[in-house]
Amino acid sequence: MVDLSVSAPGLDMSNPLMLASGIQGANAASLHRVAASGAGGLVSKSIGPLPREMYPGPVCVEAATNVVLNAMGLPNPGVDVFAEMIESETFSKPLLVSIFGGNSEEFAAVAGRLVDAGAKSLELNLSCPHAKPGSRALIIGQQPELIEEVVGAVADEVNVPLYAKLTPNTTTITDEADAAVSAGASGLSLINTVSALEVDPYVGRPIIGNLMCGLSGPAVRPIAQRKLAEVSLAMRRDEIKTVPILGMGGITSGLDVARFIMLGATAVQVGTALVAKDVAAFEEILTELESMMTETGYANLAQMRGAALDAMEGIN
Amino acid sequence: MSLPRASPRHLERRLDIDALAISCADRLESYLDEEGKSLIPVPLPLLRVEHEAEGVVTLWVDVPRSMAISYTPGQYYMCWNPYDAEGGMKRRDYNSEKPYSVGDIKVDIDRAKMGFTVKDLGRQSGELTRMARGDWLALRGPFGTTFPTPTAGDRLLLISGGIGSTPMHMAAKDARNRLGEEVEIIAVMGFKNAGEAHYIERMEQVCDQLFITTDDGSLGTEGFPTAVLPELLATDPTAISSNSTESGTTRLYTCGPEPMMKVVLQMAADAGIESYAAMERYLPCSMAVCGLCMVGDRLTCVEGPVMDGEWLLEQDDFGAAHAH
Repeated sequence: MVDLSVSAPGLDMSNPLMLASGIQGANAASLHRVAASGAGGLVSKSIGPLPREMYPGPVCVEAATNVVLNAMGLPNPGVDVFAEMIESETFSKPLLVSIFGGNSEEFAAVAGRLVDAGAKSLELNLSCPHAKPGSRALIIGQQPELIEEVVGAVADEVNVPLYAKLTPNTTTITDEADAAVSAGASGLSLINTVSALEVDPYVGRPIIGNLMCGLSGPAVRPIAQRKLAEVSLAMRRDEIKTVPILGMGGITSGLDVARFIMLGATAVQVGTALVAKDVAAFEEILTELESMMTETGYANLAQMRGAALDAMEGIN
Repeated sequence: MSLPRASPRHLERRLDIDALAISCADRLESYLDEEGKSLIPVPLPLLRVEHEAEGVVTLWVDVPRSMAISYTPGQYYMCWNPYDAEGGMKRRDYNSEKPYSVGDIKVDIDRAKMGFTVKDLGRQSGELTRMARGDWLALRGPFGTTFPTPTAGDRLLLISGGIGSTPMHMAAKDARNRLGEEVEIIAVMGFKNAGEAHYIERMEQVCDQLFITTDDGSLGTEGFPTAVLPELLATDPTAISSNSTESGTTRLYTCGPEPMMKVVLQMAADAGIESYAAMERYLPCSMAVCGLCMVGDRLTCVEGPVMDGEWLLEQDDFGAAHAH
């Protein structure tokens, strides 16, 4: 019998699969729907200070096999509505509430309101690459000093575990990871989507309503694994304080989960896999993970964790 | 933002729209996955814009023959006009992608055409009604659940309100094509007034009986479709069935405003008749991603649009009017 349970700050879960932020998860009905599936934990859609509408469509397309593009525009009901919702609802799985804001004051205010309403842990979305339509300006997650400011402000405001979600769209992700952890993040989530763009040559314009978009799905998995390994190795070398990492990026199978755990992830998040299989993806992934662990003789996730890092220890 | 007017209609050089339509249909076919679905919006030039009624048009495009043949009633396509009717895209929120079920299909020996019937109900649908031959319409799909396929001896009651006519027409046409005279099809179409009435000729061609209602009485019976439904439900099936020899199942399909469908489904439930409704909700992604199209604990995009009537009647959030 394989033990799949995971314990991380604010997250005691029966298995390591969490819903990734941005997939369903904007309201009680859809969170309950995912909670009823095989997922071990939930992450809400990113909640901001005010309600936001979806960008014009197309908002999500599969541009080629395993290449999923999206630009939703952080649509969310706003912190007031969402806080009222979590006050009145009880979910059968741990809920990590994802938040965003335009600056540290907004982040802190949203965090404070949600924790007052009962949020047990927060994920800080520092890194949505499409929050500013058409903008080429750097986002918070690309500027370590802003990451420190935001994470620090939220850590001052609330006393719950904070997971800083990092963007892969930087040169050295260990700098951003270090900034987040130094400022008080109890964990890291990586990666967010990869900056992307696709054009239809017949109509001569981008195929996503917002023009610029983010790439997710199996195409980004090797990128996510590389970023995860870089951060995990830096933690092993004590260059960064060691904290739990929630790994994500194109996970669609039990073997993918094992890959992320072996690169140091404590748990993983699953998003784009739901495009093809909806919430049934969780059970399917779990079954495969369990049989792979049985076949290869792992009794629990701790035995697997970081196994693939050993071979890379000497790499700088 | 300054972008070129890339709609063929707006290009200075005159393009052969018919030839372009064929190559775009071929291109669309190359994107179809093993389920016959395109997950990428593929632009097709409009071949013809057919006037149906006041503010109601049918947009005709060339599609791969395989796509037309495998379409089942209820399924929807995400439809997108990448440019507005003036060839620009400055007012970006006019050009969003929205779900439409297919209204009519014509299959020839080597080509096929799909018609999407659009009613001007707001910014985006209004923009679609102002399009012309040569403008781009991009399709992504088909997505969603379908109405049960009837078998010989079955009876269909099709109840539509307004633009809910389109999936009812495809359900009727598909049943007639499959079963000929072995299925009995009775339809009720409700409209606000005679001016917006559409699809009547199309429905007459495929239905055994057709009843029209208008809110103001300017055409057919005055009132909602629910005004004539009790009589149809109370009639002994064998009495209304003139051309069906076997005794099959009677099913009611409906599409229209939710308050209307709620009453219709309740009437069907009271009469002990199986019922299905094609739902319309704000449905931006179609891929179970955004989670904003929920009815009860189901996603309209992948667990709909066709949903079981008795199940819908149990949902607290079913039956209110929704904005388009």
